[in-house]
Amino acid sequence: MDPPIYYSKAEYIETDTGNKVSRRATIAGPQNIILGGKTIISSGAIIRGDLRRTGAGHAVVISLGRYCVVGEGCVMRPPYKTYRGNFNYYPMKIGDHVHIGANTVVEAATIGSHVEIGKNCVIGKFTIIKDCARVADGTIVPPNTVIPALALFAGSPGRFVEDLPESTQETVETQTKRYYTRFQPLDR
Amino acid sequence: MAPIRDKYTIHSKAVVCQDVELKGDITIGSGSIVHPKATIFAIAGPIVIGSGCIIEEGAIIVNRRKEVMRIGDDNLFEIGCRVESPTVGDFNTVSTRARVHHTVRIGSYCVVGAGCLVVPTEDEFLDDYTVIYGPAAERRTWSGRGKVQEADLRRKHAEYLREMLPKFNRLRRGEGS
Repeated sequence: MDPPIYYSKAEYIETDTGNKVSRRATIAGPQNIILGGKTIISSGAIIRGDLRRTGAGHAVVISLGRYCVVGEGCVMRPPYKTYRGNFNYYPMKIGDHVHIGANTVVEAATIGSHVEIGKNCVIGKFTIIKDCARVADGTIVPPNTVIPALALFAGSPGRFVEDLPESTQETVETQTKRYYTRFQPLDR
Repeated sequence: MAPIRDKYTIHSKAVVCQDVELKGDITIGSGSIVHPKATIFAIAGPIVIGSGCIIEEGAIIVNRRKEVMRIGDDNLFEIGCRVESPTVGDFNTVSTRARVHHTVRIGSYCVVGAGCLVVPTEDEFLDDYTVIYGPAAERRTWSGRGKVQEADLRRKHAEYLREMLPKFNRLRRGEGS
């Protein structure tokens, strides 16, 4: 069917749960990051697990579900605000089957499952993206936006464009799974 | 052209991560924060950064001119922005993915919105409280409401980062190291 996407074996580290993380990605504070399994982190991505919430206890800063893809040059960092006079970063949660395109900056609070985010987007602080939503390439989503389920957002500032079909969940799921199987190492 | 001489003067209270690209004559003031993967290039003239500035990952600050590029205090340069302006005042915000050309001088309390391009062909000065926003880089003036809160947030942010970043990142010290 689809041709495999090859990567050099030396570049990626594969974990027991099938996560593939590029050595060229910058991952700060890895002890605060959870990857669900079969997640791909491409080269040049920056994931900021060091910006954790202050206070006692073990803090999860960024959690990604299964079959996620973080594109090349993406920046993922948790959002911050002051609450009752205290400055803090707040954790970022991302569901399963989430594709994030290349060079996108994500500062969302929550991203649901089966979400597709295009290339070169800016997702503002504390954005909430519900399940099966899609953000078109180059969209600038202002801070505190809520993107409802099955909606397509595009433009600058990102606005609702149309509803997506109810089959989105299945199509995105098969797509992300296929992407993972296509993503094969090449010995050289 | 003479080769670029590297000379970094980093204040002892500044937090500059190891994974930062510096080139040329750069002075970073007290309490300023440079996140990993930021880039500061003093190609022609030196760059002087004031105190309490935050430079996030992927931000690029370039000086293409001969004279000193002065950046004031408490500025925030967000992820992936590119600033080449010869002077920057105090308390400005350059948002994610914005680009400011070398023809623009920035006053104080200005905001350049996410993804805005400020690339005029002639020299220009951005007055204090100018806000640039939207895909067409429209402008208006901020009334200054909530200025104290904004300044407070900026200070707390810097304070938090000064405490947190050294716990997870290796730091760079001044003079050649």
